Amino acid sequence: MNSIKRFEGFGFVAPLLVLMVVAFNAPIVYMLGLAFWEKGQGFTLEHYEDLFEAPVYLRVLGNTMRIALIATIANVIIGYPLAHWMRGLGSRARMIAIALVVLPFWVSILVRTYAWIVVLGNGGLVNRFLQWTGLTDAPVSFLYNELGVTIGMANVLLPFLVLPLFAAMIRIDDRLLQAAASLGAPPRTIFWKIYFPLTLPALAAGTLLVFILCLGFYVTPAILGGGRVPMISNLLDTLINQIPRWEQASAISTILLIVTLVIFAAYRRLDRKASA
Amino acid sequence: MMDGSPWTRRALAAMGIFGLAFLTVPLVIVIPMSFSSAKALTFPPPSLSLRWYETFFGDPRWMEAMATSTIVALISSVAALLLGGLAAYGLRRGTFAGRDWAEGNFMGPLIVPTIIVAIALYLGLAKIGLLGSFVGLVAAHTLLNVPLVIMVLGVAIRAFDARIEQVAWSLGASWWYTVRKVMLPNLAPSVFAAWIFAFIGSFDEVIVTSFIAGKYETVPKKMFNELILEVNPTITAVATLLIALTVLALAAVALTLSRAGKLKPTLV
Repeated sequence: MNSIKRFEGFGFVAPLLVLMVVAFNAPIVYMLGLAFWEKGQGFTLEHYEDLFEAPVYLRVLGNTMRIALIATIANVIIGYPLAHWMRGLGSRARMIAIALVVLPFWVSILVRTYAWIVVLGNGGLVNRFLQWTGLTDAPVSFLYNELGVTIGMANVLLPFLVLPLFAAMIRIDDRLLQAAASLGAPPRTIFWKIYFPLTLPALAAGTLLVFILCLGFYVTPAILGGGRVPMISNLLDTLINQIPRWEQASAISTILLIVTLVIFAAYRRLDRKASA
Repeated sequence: MMDGSPWTRRALAAMGIFGLAFLTVPLVIVIPMSFSSAKALTFPPPSLSLRWYETFFGDPRWMEAMATSTIVALISSVAALLLGGLAAYGLRRGTFAGRDWAEGNFMGPLIVPTIIVAIALYLGLAKIGLLGSFVGLVAAHTLLNVPLVIMVLGVAIRAFDARIEQVAWSLGASWWYTVRKVMLPNLAPSVFAAWIFAFIGSFDEVIVTSFIAGKYETVPKKMFNELILEVNPTITAVATLLIALTVLALAAVALTLSRAGKLKPTLV
């Protein structure tokens, strides 16, 4: 490769690269550095030690992991049958179903979260239905607790799981399934031995993606949790905007960033496998 | 083949319909609520009125937020389109070293949790004294929308036959002339789609904006602040307007892409 080839096309990328380095990479590096710095002292690991000594941080971390895990599992339970059902639809019904999955994806997360206040409130639709059917006497409180936050997050993230999963399911050749059927395999066997394993890489990739997004969720816990369900992001907000402890916020951000990037690397591997 | 008994089929359909309902119910509920005459959030609304729209359009603070959101979204989406479009072209057609690294970096804002981008920008902008400045806000919105632009245009450029450009060059067309007369007419539907996506992305952005916008109020930032304090039915009107805006924008994208026969590659 000669030296001209090695730079060919670089000019097109350069303007964006400048913006990214100045406004994205540099601030992140600065933030990472801040977590290892103490005024007048230089390099220190103190801020990380503080994190592990304060039970409040560990509790929030545990909270976040638990909510993220439950919301992800709920996503799989709702999303897999939905994607599978969409695969079997006729082309017209399928287009409508895709549109109904894609549209919420693009509607402001605030709007979608806000709607749950109306649906899940004490006088909301769900509670009125539960009381009407006699399942409960008193309203069930869905809002301002973990349940509401989990429902809201599962709702916002569902398209992230359904769309790639559906794309993978669509690629499965019907003839493969027909061959199995003609060899006498019962429907249950075809599903579990052939169909499900073929969707597994996409399912695993989608699950990881949803989990990462859950970890960094900010808007939904803030609104549906009403300050009572702190997740990492809300803790970070407090450390930046209310009791300014920037170094602590930087240390937590660094850990969250590393966890996210590790899971993302796993996601990339699975996603390559799923689309291969 | 896998359908099994009619019972299994019905169960699957029920689960699928439940999933779609779970996704769409929030949107379907908000729209009628916005026409309610009541102050309490009861569904269905006791009677219809336009009072929350009147409150919204009559409130100078909401109108100012609307103007700020529109200006920021316009400038940042065009900037993201220009910078991202050029970069997508360089990434697809260029042979320079480190392309994968550059592309990975451009996708960064999509991968790194937004809260971390918000905090990093907050700290960084505070350091250089641009926290709460218009420039900082626009730059942040621009870089957040870059990944989407590169994804949409990257697919379109890859699908466009490079030999067509080479023919134009070999016939003596300049690079700029080729872009204007050969590339853009062919890529126009995707460019439009990328611009709309970037516009919606900026118009809906709430996390980074809440951290760094200072005195600037955008519509989502104002909504978010009001939602944390109290449930105010004016928000239903704002939400309905945002849904309408999104539906119109997506319909325009779908129409443009399907006319060009490019709907499917962009969707999946």
